[in-house]
Amino acid sequence: MKTALYEHHRALGAKLIDFGGWEMPLQYSSIVHEHQIVRSKVGIFDVSHMGRILVEGLGAEALLDYLSTNQIADKPDGTATYTIWCDEKGKCIDDLLVYRVSSTQFFVIVNASNREKDLDHLLHYSAGRDVTINDRYHEDGILAVQGPNADMLIAKIFPDAEALSPMSFIVDSYEGEPVVISATGYTGAGGVEICGPNSIIVKLWEELLKEGEEYGIEPIGLGARDTLRLEAGYALYGHELSGKIAPIETVSAWTVKMNKLDFLGKSALQKLEASKQKRREYPVVLGGKGIAREGFPVYLEDRQIGVVTSGTFSPTLNQAIALVLVDKNLKVGDTIEIQIRQNRCPAEVVSLPFIGTVRH
Amino acid sequence: MKFTETHEWINVKDNIGTVGVTDYAQKELGDIVYVELPKIGSQVKKGQEAVVLESTKAAADVYSPVSGKIVEVNTALSNASEKVNKFPESDGWLFKIQLSDLQEVDSLLDKEAYQSRIP
Repeated sequence: MKTALYEHHRALGAKLIDFGGWEMPLQYSSIVHEHQIVRSKVGIFDVSHMGRILVEGLGAEALLDYLSTNQIADKPDGTATYTIWCDEKGKCIDDLLVYRVSSTQFFVIVNASNREKDLDHLLHYSAGRDVTINDRYHEDGILAVQGPNADMLIAKIFPDAEALSPMSFIVDSYEGEPVVISATGYTGAGGVEICGPNSIIVKLWEELLKEGEEYGIEPIGLGARDTLRLEAGYALYGHELSGKIAPIETVSAWTVKMNKLDFLGKSALQKLEASKQKRREYPVVLGGKGIAREGFPVYLEDRQIGVVTSGTFSPTLNQAIALVLVDKNLKVGDTIEIQIRQNRCPAEVVSLPFIGTVRH
Repeated sequence: MKFTETHEWINVKDNIGTVGVTDYAQKELGDIVYVELPKIGSQVKKGQEAVVLESTKAAADVYSPVSGKIVEVNTALSNASEKVNKFPESDGWLFKIQLSDLQEVDSLLDKEAYQSRIP
């Protein structure tokens, strides 16, 4: 599949990769360079492979509250809430943002690889409720404009979006079409994400690149998106979250509100919480040389306690960082070891984020 | 300078070969952030992995183009791995090897043959 900006990526000389069936830009220049542009200036990402689903009706709020580990009911209009969805067994289906326009109008933005699964999930649980589910998968595109200069750039084109507080959004218009502008992102660098119909998304991309020149804007690929999100300590579905991991085991465990009256999977999570089976994810900084890659074994005193879920080189820290999933409780300052080929590399448990601002 | 199909180069002088990766290889790997060099004095066989290049994307093995003993490694790379990206065929060299069989060089590709093999 291709986004509306595919030809633009090619024209910009992007190296393209397959990402969940989508031909997406991995990098335009270099991952480290693009990473640094987002941390120091501003970058623009095409994230149109993610999907938007409208959830509307008198029963929309109750449905989304029931499906989400985080609290959705009674949140203010114009806010976005990060949450996990899990199944009745308490395993992760996806992580996503729930946007509240009003008490009867919501939409969610979900991961590319889970678009069909999430849509089926919503349709299944909306049966018998006063809710309509409409995906915008073929109509909408999504851009992320991230970095310290993002707000200035956005204010030039969308004056009403100036001074959006974190996790809030407005519905503005561009070329006569409605666009959602939210102070959200996946980089820890600040900025916005913009969602609107494909008919205007290409023009908006072009205008942002042109108007952003004075702020040092560059297009950013999925490679830097991954190093940025990892520095910020954000989970990536398929790595920190999956059908084999429970939400309370993840770096996103803070989204799980066990004091909610009920939500799908709650009783399974209560059982897991009370058991000795619960694992935990921790951020670590590597002491030695080498990069901890996904799946590398993690040791504590010669016993394997888990695996690396994501690992990379942090261009900001100039050190290798990783997230690990282990069956042992660790605390900040503890040292574990990661098997990197023939060597055991020491790594220290730290707190999140590695870099950037905390989303919640 | 001679080349391998796996994108290494070797420059042999007086029985000592200097080995690195080609410009094509560094472009394919992307930003190299860490270089795991072999131990000086270790023996490697032709085609055996001698170096690991870690990029932001993945780890890649570098295979020795010839058999012999590692006599020197480019220690400057431990703090400046980006040299492999910037100067892959000069300052970004990886190791020097004392060849145990000079004839192995003859089976390697010359520049023209190598370049015809890369896309």
